[in-house]
Amino acid sequence: MNWLLWRQHRNGAVVFLAITLAFAIALWITGVHMAHLYDSARQSCTVGSGGACDRYLGSLFNGYGAIIDIVHLTLVLPVVLGAFLGATLIARETEPHTNVLVWTQGVTRRRWLLTKVAFALVATLIAAGLTSVLVTWWSGTPNSLNGDRFQGAQFDTQNIVPVAHALFAVALGIAAGAVLRRVLPAIATTIGVFVAARIVVAVYLRPRYAAAQLLSTPFNGPVGGAQLAPGSWRMSENVVDPSGHVVNGPLRVPNSCVAGSRAGADSCLERLGFRQVVKFHPASSYWRFQWTESLLFVGLAAILTAVAVLVTLRRDA
Amino acid sequence: MTAATIETTGLGKRYGSTWALQDVTLTVPPGRISALVGANGAGKTTLLRMLAGVATPSAGTITVAGQHPADDVGFLRRISYVAQDMPLYGRWKVADQLKLGTELNEDFDDAGARERLRALSIPLDRKVAALSGGMRAQVALALALGKRPDVLLLDEPLAALDPLARRDFLSTVATAVVDRPLTVLLSSHLLPDLERICDHLIVLAGGRLVLADDIDHVLATHRVLTAAARDTTALERVHDVITIQRTPRQVTGVVRVGAAPLEPDWDVTEVSLEEIVLAYLGVAQSAGPPATAPASLTLLREER
Repeated sequence: MNWLLWRQHRNGAVVFLAITLAFAIALWITGVHMAHLYDSARQSCTVGSGGACDRYLGSLFNGYGAIIDIVHLTLVLPVVLGAFLGATLIARETEPHTNVLVWTQGVTRRRWLLTKVAFALVATLIAAGLTSVLVTWWSGTPNSLNGDRFQGAQFDTQNIVPVAHALFAVALGIAAGAVLRRVLPAIATTIGVFVAARIVVAVYLRPRYAAAQLLSTPFNGPVGGAQLAPGSWRMSENVVDPSGHVVNGPLRVPNSCVAGSRAGADSCLERLGFRQVVKFHPASSYWRFQWTESLLFVGLAAILTAVAVLVTLRRDA
Repeated sequence: MTAATIETTGLGKRYGSTWALQDVTLTVPPGRISALVGANGAGKTTLLRMLAGVATPSAGTITVAGQHPADDVGFLRRISYVAQDMPLYGRWKVADQLKLGTELNEDFDDAGARERLRALSIPLDRKVAALSGGMRAQVALALALGKRPDVLLLDEPLAALDPLARRDFLSTVATAVVDRPLTVLLSSHLLPDLERICDHLIVLAGGRLVLADDIDHVLATHRVLTAAARDTTALERVHDVITIQRTPRQVTGVVRVGAAPLEPDWDVTEVSLEEIVLAYLGVAQSAGPPATAPASLTLLREER
């Protein structure tokens, strides 16, 4: 059985390892260089240089667009694994009926199936885990510049969430292949359902993994002010009038505040009791969000794997 | 009296509301090479798939080599099954295909399989997809025989082969049976080809079993009877009349002759296996007009 796995997956494994090796080398070179640039910039920025220093740090990695794009592109690794490893796992046997050949050799269908499924899931764990470790390590420097790790390009490519996405995509592919029994329909279904599920979760569920917090700050200061820790996920920012109602649409400035400069008007509104309110998830909730989303997708992966196994064992060849 | 190698009782398979095979109670004694014949859709493939354990019966029981078909090694090691489309890994070399047999079976006869292919000049380093249909069939057969099965199930192995490849395929099967105890069940439209190596016959029609017997016994008991036009009620009471055709002047019937003596004015002639099979298949088409031998002959020939 192990020989069969090796014989069927050796090409895919070699291709994956070659790409990963090239990727790892590129990340290692640029990652070390970026960390070095960042550290020396921080040391040369003395306390009090203020905005100029921030601007300098902000423009630090301007030449790194290509590699940053490649890192963000690891977003598609789960669906690639789902289509090429998951969807083909069973369908490429059932389409040309080689499953009938294998199921009448001296290895039970159950053992064949469980070995293949276990291999696919473990290979996914290793492939996605390895990629995530590389990306997470490399992103240490950009993260400390940008702070907010809740955005898609960061949240979906770093730490444990990308691994959970990959396990879900591969289990989805295996189930689609087991049910549809043909390679191309299984691949198409895997891509479609995976993208739909990710969008629904990212847009509708992810903001609700924890109750959002509200922070009310003076009208004439920065939104959130110093109390809003860097790295928080800002959901919305609103102006609240003196009676505590959210102001929708353009703010009608009372006549008493119309005169004078913009700053004068802000101070005037502040005196009247206008506040600005930010709705956010604090940076400290990051791991709660990572775990919640990961458990959700791993749970879905478990259900889909069970479906694939039951369908394959119960149906006629 | 040896135990049957293949035994089914009340076997049936239903797809949706249609029975592809119904109420098949069948016995194939050990060591037979049995021809499974029937028109398209008669249920040959369904029967073989259930015997091989790749499809589950909707009704009835199966015993193959003393085992019930199941997902366990004890059953799997006793049977070999070559499906109709002879699935092989097309992009693999022949040698890898044999390695599959070695890797997935405890007791695979790798040397024997290689020797068999070498004797047929089939190159082991050629990709399976690049082989001719005949060579492909031989690779599938070598893999099946390499398992050293007790029962070999072959579904339409000759369908895609030219006459020469058919002869080679059948001679490989015939040689294998001489080498070691083996029961073979192979399905085909091509009865004349099978007659050369088969000693047992199973006829399916419309999803039902119409005949299962040793060929010698079938030939010994079936006769064509001809006589001047008459009432055949008396005949039908004591003998199995398979088909009967009447013209204003005479009556002709294929009859399974029972123990009772025949009336002396029947003209009794021997009958070929093909005619017997056609008679049984003709009966099964009961929905249509009374079948005549020439009509059903044409029908079967068209199928080929």
